[in-house]
Amino acid sequence: MAKPKRSASTHRRHSNPDVSVRRSLGPIVAATVVLTVAVATWGGRPVTGESLIQLLIFALPLAGIFALAATGLVVVYTTTGVFNFAQGAIGMLAAYVYWQLHVDWGWPNVLSVAVTVLGFAPAFGWMLNRLIMRHLVGKDLVVQLMVTVGLLLGFIGVANTIWDPNQSHTVNPFFGIEGFQISGVTLTWHRLIALVVAVVLVVGLRFLLYATRLGIAMRAVVDNQGLAQLSGVPSERVSSFSWMLGSCLAALAGVLYANEIGVGASLVLATLVPAFAAAAVGRMRSLPLTYLGALILALLMQFASVYLSFTGDWQPAKERIPEVMLFVVLLLLPPASLKFARFSGVRRRARVVPPRQGAIGLAVLVVTMPLFGLLQSATNLSRLTLAMGLAIVALSLVPLTGWAGQVSFAPLAFAGIGAAAFAHFGGESGRPLAILIGAIAAAPVGAALSLIAVRLQGLYLGLATFAFAYFTRDAILNNSRMYGGVSLTTPRQTWFGISFSGNQAYLTLLTVVFAIIALALMAIRTSSFGRRLVAMRDSEAASATVGVNIFETKVVVFTISAFVAGLGGSFLAMFYINTDSGRFEAIAGLGLVLQMVVGGIALVSGAVFAGVFQLPIIILREKSAEVSWLLWLEPKLRGLEQIAPGFAALGIIQNPEGAVVAVGKGFAPLVPGDTAARKVASAERARKAERYAAQSSEIGLSIALTASSIAEVERQLRVTDALAPRGSS
Amino acid sequence: MTSLTVHDVSVRFGGLTAVDAASFTVESGSVTGLIGPNGAGKTTLFNVITGLQAPSGGTVTLDDRDLRKAKPYKRARLGIARTFQRLEAFGSLTVRENVLVAAEMRRRWSTTKYDAAEETETILGRVGIQHLADARAEDLPTGNARLVEVARALAVKPSVLLLDEPSSGLDESETDVLGVLMHALAQEGLAILLVEHDMPLVMTTCNYINVLDFGKIIARGTPTEIQNDEHVQRAYLGSVAKAES
Repeated sequence: MAKPKRSASTHRRHSNPDVSVRRSLGPIVAATVVLTVAVATWGGRPVTGESLIQLLIFALPLAGIFALAATGLVVVYTTTGVFNFAQGAIGMLAAYVYWQLHVDWGWPNVLSVAVTVLGFAPAFGWMLNRLIMRHLVGKDLVVQLMVTVGLLLGFIGVANTIWDPNQSHTVNPFFGIEGFQISGVTLTWHRLIALVVAVVLVVGLRFLLYATRLGIAMRAVVDNQGLAQLSGVPSERVSSFSWMLGSCLAALAGVLYANEIGVGASLVLATLVPAFAAAAVGRMRSLPLTYLGALILALLMQFASVYLSFTGDWQPAKERIPEVMLFVVLLLLPPASLKFARFSGVRRRARVVPPRQGAIGLAVLVVTMPLFGLLQSATNLSRLTLAMGLAIVALSLVPLTGWAGQVSFAPLAFAGIGAAAFAHFGGESGRPLAILIGAIAAAPVGAALSLIAVRLQGLYLGLATFAFAYFTRDAILNNSRMYGGVSLTTPRQTWFGISFSGNQAYLTLLTVVFAIIALALMAIRTSSFGRRLVAMRDSEAASATVGVNIFETKVVVFTISAFVAGLGGSFLAMFYINTDSGRFEAIAGLGLVLQMVVGGIALVSGAVFAGVFQLPIIILREKSAEVSWLLWLEPKLRGLEQIAPGFAALGIIQNPEGAVVAVGKGFAPLVPGDTAARKVASAERARKAERYAAQSSEIGLSIALTASSIAEVERQLRVTDALAPRGSS
Repeated sequence: MTSLTVHDVSVRFGGLTAVDAASFTVESGSVTGLIGPNGAGKTTLFNVITGLQAPSGGTVTLDDRDLRKAKPYKRARLGIARTFQRLEAFGSLTVRENVLVAAEMRRRWSTTKYDAAEETETILGRVGIQHLADARAEDLPTGNARLVEVARALAVKPSVLLLDEPSSGLDESETDVLGVLMHALAQEGLAILLVEHDMPLVMTTCNYINVLDFGKIIARGTPTEIQNDEHVQRAYLGSVAKAES
């Protein structure tokens, strides 16, 4: 028999030379840009041995902390497939626990650290996996992401409930400010510990993953959970361990960084994006590359702070290096190939409301919302009005994420761009058409983002939009051509003879605007373009093979989405009257997306839900403060108000279509005359029963098996005879 | 007359050679079979032809037009349509919408005017899934979902149709209907490339067969020639014959 030819290696070398050229082009461009920026903003400090050592002494421990945070992300992501947005929040909780033990209760430092990192953190990680995360495996990406985003916000809420955020919680560095001198620069013991811990852990983890049974099992579970289970890997235990480990790493990062940032929500923000950026360098998989990413980031940040001076409009950009790096790294990754559907498993959110039913619903909204407003106190009316404004922004996600499946965390950033443009071009004089300026300004930014983002998918797309939102808030909106750090006035106007200065009138206006946009979107959904969007989400590969230009489709839907968000931004600016960039925080945008997903991302009613979600709790809390015998409830609800939005996200594990659909499904069969809904409900029941029967027969069981039929089978097989003791028959 | 030519196409994934210098032609008016054991590289070849996978070497031409630079959607517009072995129906759309999406897309490049909705009904009827029109594709059993993909591919009004194991999940009578449909489509001038494990279907439907094994074309010829080919029997049919005996 002829030997098979092994010519692959020789072929590989000269195949597709332009690909390798293109790949090296990205880093070259990035390096050139970094150099140009460095030259343009050079602060004039001479590069001496001392300043370089100072740079290193500050950068290396920082890199260690980022690496710890990022490694936790990577370990959990590679073994469970869940990208944990709440990683930084776990670190924050751990830092609080450490503060409680060490500062408040006066426990010895070593004991406090040990209890926090080796006791609290793994227990917390174990519980997290047990209660929540194991239910996320194999779920739709949007569900996975939003549950962890929910936990991020929920954990901050929990921390703020237990520890008063208005008091400062500070911890001192281990061993104070002591350390040793290197060429006149002090390296504190604390920083040295951070660095050493990071280095020891990278070596240890590498060993764990590649040289131990557990590590190999961990990596096997990532590749194929089912197969790993079949070959005897206890995947449940492996993912449990991963979460415990990830939680420990988060806690370490939190405890080590707390003395510099302070214990509190700021600690989450200080590690969140840097960890993402470092993990992105490792493509969420490679630990060594993740460490390299952390090192590059820390060096860049320290380099900028030592040598560069950003002035004027670009001053805030210096603080945004992690976001910029995250964005750039994601763009340098090789472009994703067209996505195939995973046909089985994930059931998509795909409810299409018939146009007539939708129109009736919106009409009801337009009538009831202002009436509801009439019943509210001035404060709550204002909140309700804001909620409707946010609901318009949330609508922008319906076509983009709900139908086209493109994850975006940046709706509020587009609203900010829209609001600023509106303020500059006619917002002050307030011609009705000026409202459109916001939308028209945001749309091309959306198009531009999509041109870049079109090569990214899923998680990477979400992270890129998150970085974009961050950068927009701090660097773009603070540009002097936008808000420039001041607030701009956009008074409410009198249009068509109606003054909208009062909230009641403005709420009515917003509700009508919402209904109009919602109608337009519903028309798009039932058009051929709408079908194409859903088709693209279900299978990019198949869409392309029937002639859908994926690139063009994505650009169009991004543009539409930005247009709607920009329009919402204009209306928000008019609501606030005095607006500054602080209204468009990236984290607030994250919360808006979360509530939208919880409500139902593919539905316009989900947007109403997103807007008004928190109101019932707020109103209940205020009412309970007024009623003497309910007074005890008030502080409890105050906590709930912060925690609820985060933990509400857990609902989407069971109801990925969103609360609106889940509630609607439950109520629809009860509506008299709605036979269609009853039919759907009974069909659903039948399908469940069928699936149960199919599962039972798969494992060789028949649900029709009763005691008598078993006896019959046994009689036929003469099992009883064989089993009967000898001589008894 | 349309002809699709695969010339000297190779695909390598790292050190693994999935397709090794494969060449064959698909002519209009005929059904060309592409058979071979699992992992022989059949689906990879489909991905190369439709542009979802860049080949490491070789060319695909449609009527002498080099498709190397053409993106997947361009190839669809040039008249290449396919179904997928691992189902890629648009799960959350109804069967009718699955076909409609394709029919509506074609309006963008088609020179003739037509009504997409009407066209959709015709195709649904032709493939025999009219009674399923309002069901969501992801709720269908595998066999029916495959037929949805066939209908969707037909809505592109292709000149070359690639079918990747269309009969798996179908019962015998449904398979017969599919065979008849393929015959009729070929009669109308379509060039069909069929990947299939159902040997009776392949032998009765195909005019010409290419046998792929370990990424290489090891034999080609008419069904009769293939059945008598020594290499093929050893690599593929032999095992089937043994299993059946």
